[in-house]
Amino acid sequence: MRRVWRLAAPVAIGIAAGLTPAPAAAGDVLRIGAPLAATGAEAREGALAKQGYDLWAETVNARGGLKVGAKSYRVEIIYYDDQSKPQISAELTDRLISQDHVSFLLGPYGSPTTFADAAVAEKYRIPMVEANGAARKIFAQGYRYVFGVLSPADEYAASMLKAAATLVPRPQTVAILAADDLFSLEVANGARDWAEKNGLRVVYFQKYPVGVADLSAPLTSIKSLRPDILLGSGHLQESLLIMKQAQTLDVSVGFYGFTVGPTTPDFVTALGPAAEGVFASSQWTPDVKYRGPVFDTAAAYAKAFERKYGFVPDYHAAESSAAGLVLQLAVEKAQSVEPAPVREALASLDAMTFYGPVRFNAQGLNDRKPMVTVQIQQGRVVTVWPREVAAAKAIYPTPPWSARK
Amino acid sequence: MSPELQIALQNAINGLLLGGTYALVAVGFSLVWGILNVVNLAHGSLVMLGAYVTYWLYTRYRLDPFATLPLTGLALFGLGYPLQRLVINQVIRASFLITFLLTFGLDLLVTNLALAAWTADVRAVTTPYSGRSLALGPLALPLVRAIALLVALGAAAVLQVLLTRTRLGSAIRATASDLEAARLMGIPVARVYALTFAIAAATAGVAGGLISLSFPIFPAMGAGYTLIAFVVCVLGGLGSVPGAFLGGLLLGLLQTYAAAWLGPNYDNIVAFSVLVLVLVVRPAGLLGRVERFRG
Repeated sequence: MRRVWRLAAPVAIGIAAGLTPAPAAAGDVLRIGAPLAATGAEAREGALAKQGYDLWAETVNARGGLKVGAKSYRVEIIYYDDQSKPQISAELTDRLISQDHVSFLLGPYGSPTTFADAAVAEKYRIPMVEANGAARKIFAQGYRYVFGVLSPADEYAASMLKAAATLVPRPQTVAILAADDLFSLEVANGARDWAEKNGLRVVYFQKYPVGVADLSAPLTSIKSLRPDILLGSGHLQESLLIMKQAQTLDVSVGFYGFTVGPTTPDFVTALGPAAEGVFASSQWTPDVKYRGPVFDTAAAYAKAFERKYGFVPDYHAAESSAAGLVLQLAVEKAQSVEPAPVREALASLDAMTFYGPVRFNAQGLNDRKPMVTVQIQQGRVVTVWPREVAAAKAIYPTPPWSARK
Repeated sequence: MSPELQIALQNAINGLLLGGTYALVAVGFSLVWGILNVVNLAHGSLVMLGAYVTYWLYTRYRLDPFATLPLTGLALFGLGYPLQRLVINQVIRASFLITFLLTFGLDLLVTNLALAAWTADVRAVTTPYSGRSLALGPLALPLVRAIALLVALGAAAVLQVLLTRTRLGSAIRATASDLEAARLMGIPVARVYALTFAIAAATAGVAGGLISLSFPIFPAMGAGYTLIAFVVCVLGGLGSVPGAFLGGLLLGLLQTYAAAWLGPNYDNIVAFSVLVLVLVVRPAGLLGRVERFRG
C-alpha cells in the first residue's frame, strides 16, 4: 500500500550540462534518504520541503556533484512517503538505512516525525541533517548524529515578542492561545517565559485541542481583558479561525501574531482584508541579507527557486535546501562520504549560508540563526524585524475592526 | 453590566449560534438513523461537500453564499438519492456493523476524493459582509452566524412541516413506525427510503454551506461533524426534528460554557459526560420516544 516515489537522477542534469563545465562522472553516486510526507496532515508542507531538497540536489549535480578528493559524487535523494505518521516515518528511516544503504539522511517534515526518525538515525550512526523539526525535545536526547539547521521552537514566538517590544507605544500585556501539541506548547511556553522576563504581562494563557472547531469562548474572555498582543501558537486552520472569530466578536487588539499560518498563501486568500496587519515569525524570508556558497544570496536563492517552481519560496523550502547544503559543506570539509568523519565535520561546522549562519551546539541545534518577524501589509508578507534585514516598518497598532472597511 | 455578566451573556450568544449549526448538521443524521435505521458515518462528508459547493459557487461565479443555499441543497439531494438507491439500500436490512462498515468506507472514499480533487488547502468563504457584527450594547452578534441560525431554524421548520403535514411525510413516518404495515398499505418503501436519505443529504449540504461562511473548510472537516451529529441525536432523541434542534442548541451551549469556564480542552469532556448522563437517565433522549429503541 505504501506509495513510493523514488527520484532518480534529476532530469535537469541534461539541460544543465550545457551550462556547467563538468557534470559528475556517471559512476559515483551519493545516496541520501528522506522519509517525507506526501499524504496525510503534513502533505502540503512535505511537498514544500521536497521542492527545497530537489532544488539543492539539482543545483549540486549541475555544478558537477560533491567534490571529495579526486572524485565527484552525483547526489541522489531517495524519498518515501511517511503519510505524516511518526511510526511509519521511523520504519522508513530504518528501511532507507538497512535496505537502500543510504549514506546520509535528510529529515522528514514536522517535530513528531523528526523525533521518531532521529532515534533510528542515532541507532545506526547515520548523520541526519534535518530542517523541519524545531522542538527542543528532539535535541535533548543526547543524540550525536542529529543536526537541525533551523532555529528552535521557543524562538518562534519569542521573535515576535522581541519585535513587539521595539514598537511604540510599547505593548504591555499579552494573551496566548496554544494548540495542545508538543511543538505548539513548547513555543507558547517559550513566549510566556520571554514575556515574563522582559516586562510584558501575560494576562491570559490557554490551551485548546488541535483542530478545534470553535474558539469563541476564549476569545470572549480575551476581549474583556483588552490585551495589547494576541499570540496564537498552533496551525493554519486555527489561525484562520481565530482571526475570523476575533473579527465577528469584535475583539480588537493592537498586535495579532501567529507562529504558523500567515506566511502560507492560504492565509491571505482565505481572510482577504481581515489578514491585514497580522504578524508572524519566519525561519527565513527572501529579504534576509545572508550570503553563502552554492546559492549565493537569499534573494538569488529565491530567484532560482521561482525559476524552477513558479512561485516565491517560503521558509519551508529554504530550510530544506539549507539542510542539503549543510550536508554538502560537511562532506566537502571532511573529504569523505563515511558517516563518522562527516559527523565530526558537522559538529565543528561554522558556515555562513543564504539561509543564515550555521553552527551547531553540543546538542546539534543551530542556535546561531535568529528568526525574523514578518507582517502582512497590502496583502503581501514583508519582513519587519530585525531592523537590519527589514524591508518595511511594522504597522502598529492594528486599527480596531470598527475602524476598518 | 459587570464584566462577568457580559462574558456570560456573550457566551450564551456564542453557544446558541454554534448550537444552531450543530442542530442543522444533526437533523439529517437523526432522520436517517430514526427512519432507515442506518447510522450514517458519511454524514460529515456530505456536510463537507455542501461547504465546497458553496465555496466554488462563490469563488468561481461570485454567487452570494446565502442565495446559493437552495442550489447546494439541491445538489446534495441529487447526490443523496442515487447514493441511497444504489449503495446504502444494499445493506438496509443488514446488521448495524455492516452499515457502519459501508458508511465508514463511503466517508473515507468521499474525503479522499475531495483531497485529491481540491488538495488539503484550508479555505474560507469570505464575503464583504463576513466580518460584520451587530452591537447589542457591549455584546457582539456576528451577523453571518446569526443569519445562519435563522436559516437553520427555517430549514428545520420546513422539514418539520414536510414530515407532519404532507403525504410524503406521512409515508416516511409510517415506514418508520411499522415497515410491514406501510408496505401492505402500498407505500413504495424503497422510494421513501431514498427520498428520506436525499432530504437528509440536502440538509447536510445546507449546513455545510452555512459552515463555510464562518469556519475554515478542508476535506477532512467532516469527521468532527459526524461525531457532533451523533451526540446531538442521543441528547435530543432520534428521528425528531425538534429533538435534534434542542439537542444541538444544548450541545453548543454546553461546549461554549465548558470552554469558557474550564478551558477549550474541556468542551468535549463536559459534552460527553452529559451524553453518558442522558443515556443513563433518559436513554431515548430528551424528546425521543422510548418505543424507537425496541428491537
